[in-house]
Amino acid sequence: MIYFISIKESMQIIENLKIKEKLYTEKLENGLTVMIIPKKNIQKKYVIFGTNYGSNDSKFVVPGEETVTEVPDGVAHFLEHKMFEQENGVNSLDKLTSLGVDANAYTTNDHTAYLFECTDKFYEALDELMDYVQNPYFTDENVEKEKGIIGQEIMMYDDYPDWRLYLNTLQAMYHNNPVKLDITGTIDTISKIDKDILYKCYNTFYNPSNMALVVCGDFEPSELLEQIKSRLSNKKSNGDIKRIYPDEPENIVKENIEQKMEVSMPIFTIGIKDIVANDKEKVKKHIAIEILLNMIIGRSSELYKKLYDEGNILSEPSLDYEFSKKYAHILITGKSNAPEEIYKEFKNIINTIKEEGINEQDFSRIKKMIYGEYIREYDDVADVARMFLADYFKGINSLDYIEEIDLVNLEYATSILKDVFKEDKMVLSVVRS
Amino acid sequence: MEHSVEEIKKGIKVHLIEDSKFKTNLISVFLTTPLSREYVTYDAVLSSVLRRGSKNMPTQEAISKELEEMYGAEFDCGLDKTGDNHVLKFYLESINDKFIPQNDINMLKTSIEKLIEIIFNPYIKEDNFKKEYVEQEKNKIKQIIEAKIDNKAKYALDRCIEEMYQDKPYGLYKYGYVEDLEKIDNKNLYKYYKDLISKCKIDIFISGEINEDTIDIIKENTNIKLLEDRNPIYNSSDNDDLETTEEKQITESMEVTQGKITIGMHIADISEEEKYSALVYNSILGGTANSKLFQNVREKASLAYSASSNYMRYKNNIFINCGIEIKNYEKALEIIRKQLEDIKNGDFTDEDIKNAKKGIVSAINGIKDEQDTKIMYFLGQELTNMNVDLEQYISKVQAVNKDDILNIANKIKINTIYFLKD
Repeated sequence: MIYFISIKESMQIIENLKIKEKLYTEKLENGLTVMIIPKKNIQKKYVIFGTNYGSNDSKFVVPGEETVTEVPDGVAHFLEHKMFEQENGVNSLDKLTSLGVDANAYTTNDHTAYLFECTDKFYEALDELMDYVQNPYFTDENVEKEKGIIGQEIMMYDDYPDWRLYLNTLQAMYHNNPVKLDITGTIDTISKIDKDILYKCYNTFYNPSNMALVVCGDFEPSELLEQIKSRLSNKKSNGDIKRIYPDEPENIVKENIEQKMEVSMPIFTIGIKDIVANDKEKVKKHIAIEILLNMIIGRSSELYKKLYDEGNILSEPSLDYEFSKKYAHILITGKSNAPEEIYKEFKNIINTIKEEGINEQDFSRIKKMIYGEYIREYDDVADVARMFLADYFKGINSLDYIEEIDLVNLEYATSILKDVFKEDKMVLSVVRS
Repeated sequence: MEHSVEEIKKGIKVHLIEDSKFKTNLISVFLTTPLSREYVTYDAVLSSVLRRGSKNMPTQEAISKELEEMYGAEFDCGLDKTGDNHVLKFYLESINDKFIPQNDINMLKTSIEKLIEIIFNPYIKEDNFKKEYVEQEKNKIKQIIEAKIDNKAKYALDRCIEEMYQDKPYGLYKYGYVEDLEKIDNKNLYKYYKDLISKCKIDIFISGEINEDTIDIIKENTNIKLLEDRNPIYNSSDNDDLETTEEKQITESMEVTQGKITIGMHIADISEEEKYSALVYNSILGGTANSKLFQNVREKASLAYSASSNYMRYKNNIFINCGIEIKNYEKALEIIRKQLEDIKNGDFTDEDIKNAKKGIVSAINGIKDEQDTKIMYFLGQELTNMNVDLEQYISKVQAVNKDDILNIANKIKINTIYFLKD
């Protein structure tokens, strides 16, 4: 039920009638993609400016060069910290805060994003956001100073059992893919970062053709688009960046991984390594996996009931399917005194469902629930903008989820169950005292 | 955004917040009762047992299936320490009928009825709660209490509050105490429940696309009809019972890579109007990235990744939180103390005040876009017997001037410095 309403100049309007939302999108001449999701009567305005560059991109060929560039781990995140600093001595985060807007930035495996949320002073804040993201200023001194702050951030993450658990799971699954590394880098790798490395990565990846800007709030789209255009620096599109990732075998590294840390109760993640779906199938596959996970171990599942009654689990595990263009995996995370028992039961129930077939009633009920979850994602401007940006860098239009859910039938889910939920692709990561 | 209140029975109020811009409707029920060492653990187990089953949905599984069928309605419950009260919170959020493809149910009505049933018509076996449920939930609460140590920053804050409010209701841990769990069984818990729902203050909030008839769904509900008038016993939430004492320093050890400092401060003898000044003061001290703490502890001294402060309105406390390298404790403390002194000496500009206010006003305006925060705001008003709407709140913040902030700076005293190290 997606309709292409009109194409005015080059702005494309996509309306979804189920959710009653519209997406206005345009790829500008310099290569920047702008997406606008207007929301009437909402006070908050949210803008996010992102580059398709994350912690996984440490090896690449700069457009126009012949040789491969390799940089220390943690540069994307380091850049995120340093972007706020301006040549005139102003720190853009301070400037934005003083306008009363809530500004922030974050780095993931495949993208880095700069954002703010406000109820007032949107265009003044947009001036600052677009200015600082387009104009870096690194010096030997300010780069050195940041190593202390990032060092504290790395130590803070070292104390998060959840974060260790997560990275360990990835390390058990991936031989070479950099997704298994800390986004921040380590104290050792960040010590090797200097201003030349930062500039090189900036100039390569912060080119408009590698970036997208998403806005959600009460706006008139064409007017907003003009405002955005007027704030662009005159950088030209620099063409494709060749990224080099190590080859990753389909098999896992090892089935079990464990770390000792002070936790009141063991925490565990069951990981299932998957292969990246083709562009056409990505969304559909994601939906099918969400439905299956909920059927297998969600709050109404037989397995969950059994584990709860036996005292082996205290609350619903979180169920995630994470993927980018370079990796895909399932993560089931919870707390339990008996993670190994849960892992065993999990494998058993999958075999049973494979043998007996998927229960049709459960399937349609869970599908309704997933539909409802997609609908609610559209209430918060921040969730909406972040979702569109993250999906865009995966090659997905977020609205497709609401459309494609109808295409996921029992037969398709059965094939995904068979192809993805394989015992030899599963790992168990545990953190216990 | 319209907010209206009707007391449908003595001690039972229904609050309607009309706003049709959301994809969902949100229903919340709050049971408010005084915090006490004797019953704090009962409250925790009770809130957990109620989610196990109701008369018509006798198991957790049955409730879950029902919610999934309602396009993934979300149900949750929790506990809040609101001043000297314990608030048992129950929520149900479901999507608005407009977004349902084949619409054969009235989602709002169904949601209200399900939530009310879970709270007021629980699953009963032989005139008591089901024994198994109570035992399982006791075990769960035990684990939650023991999990206090898992989030170190939160743990440091909890410990600081506990030290400040020793032997006072506010010092209690909201999930209670492991040693008290043994005394609870399915019989005395059910007795406690009957007593609680006949005496506690009850506030029911409905937010979303509603109309005048919505309140009738509640009034005509059988389970609500069975509730009796009551003179609700609870504390007006802003009872200030902290004596001024010498500064206390407490250091404890745990397996941590990064040290956590929490500093609990108190503002004695503060009027209602002065609370707005305290809010602005806190913002200048550690509320934003522009604040004294963030600028001086993190940006200039490069000592921390996080350095912030929070104002807790009900008890007139400000808590400073920092994660630092353990060997830098003295240095960090010195810089923090200097920030407090600097504000006291008037070392902040009109620009700082203006910026602080902008941040607060923006946050208040943002409440209008969040159903849950809006409900919590009005509940806070209800429990402190106040009636300040969001616009009035903003103008009170705007009225704060430099002298008002200096007044707070001179009143505020460090009560406890808590340090968690390795």
